Amino acid sequence: MTSTLAAIFTSAIPLAGPWRLVFMLPLCLSIAIVYKTTRCDDLRQVPMAALILWATIVIGMFAVGLGLWLLFSIAV
Amino acid sequence: MADRETISLAQMPIAGFLSWLVPGLGHIYLGDRTRGLICLVVITVTFWTGVAVGSVQATVAPQARKLWFMAQLCSGGNTMAAVGLHHLVDPKSAWSPQQAVTPYWASADVGVHYTGVAGLLNLLVILDAIGRGEPRAFARREEQEPTKGRQ
Repeated sequence: MTSTLAAIFTSAIPLAGPWRLVFMLPLCLSIAIVYKTTRCDDLRQVPMAALILWATIVIGMFAVGLGLWLLFSIAV
Repeated sequence: MADRETISLAQMPIAGFLSWLVPGLGHIYLGDRTRGLICLVVITVTFWTGVAVGSVQATVAPQARKLWFMAQLCSGGNTMAAVGLHHLVDPKSAWSPQQAVTPYWASADVGVHYTGVAGLLNLLVILDAIGRGEPRAFARREEQEPTKGRQ
């Protein structure tokens, strides 16, 4: 049991290619939940506020990425 | 649980220290159980997901990844447990300035980001716990919610 648990944390999961960017989505969700948990006085507002913040972060990062990619494509 | 009568300046650093040790514990100490539990679950899951993705040898390396380790250290209890596990598994690489050899650099990258961000999120939680422990903030909240304050 202990060795199985340790094996989960001692051997890396093989990740390759652009699919690793999908890991950004749960990380952004964690950021949104914790931030809104500290900011909202009423905890019932947290799920919706976190969801909106999560969507804002993801769409914002996508837009910045797209903008930089376009700029790079034009410049080079 | 701390109430208005017992809350004092000494409880602010205690709440901060408890939050550093275990994410959300400072809020639980101040009586904000649900908020504390949300922080505890989200930060702990984020941290250990990062360790599971990148392996403890490649993600929590005090010498090889100093800046990231400083961010990870903001989540004290989790990081100490991870350093302990790293030392147990591979004592040589735990304190070596060389990065652990990993066949999956992308996994290590993702793992480091997860653990580092979990640490920085815990810094936010620590500051929030200290702010909520401040007597003035406590009194302000009690004014806003007079019936909830003395439970």
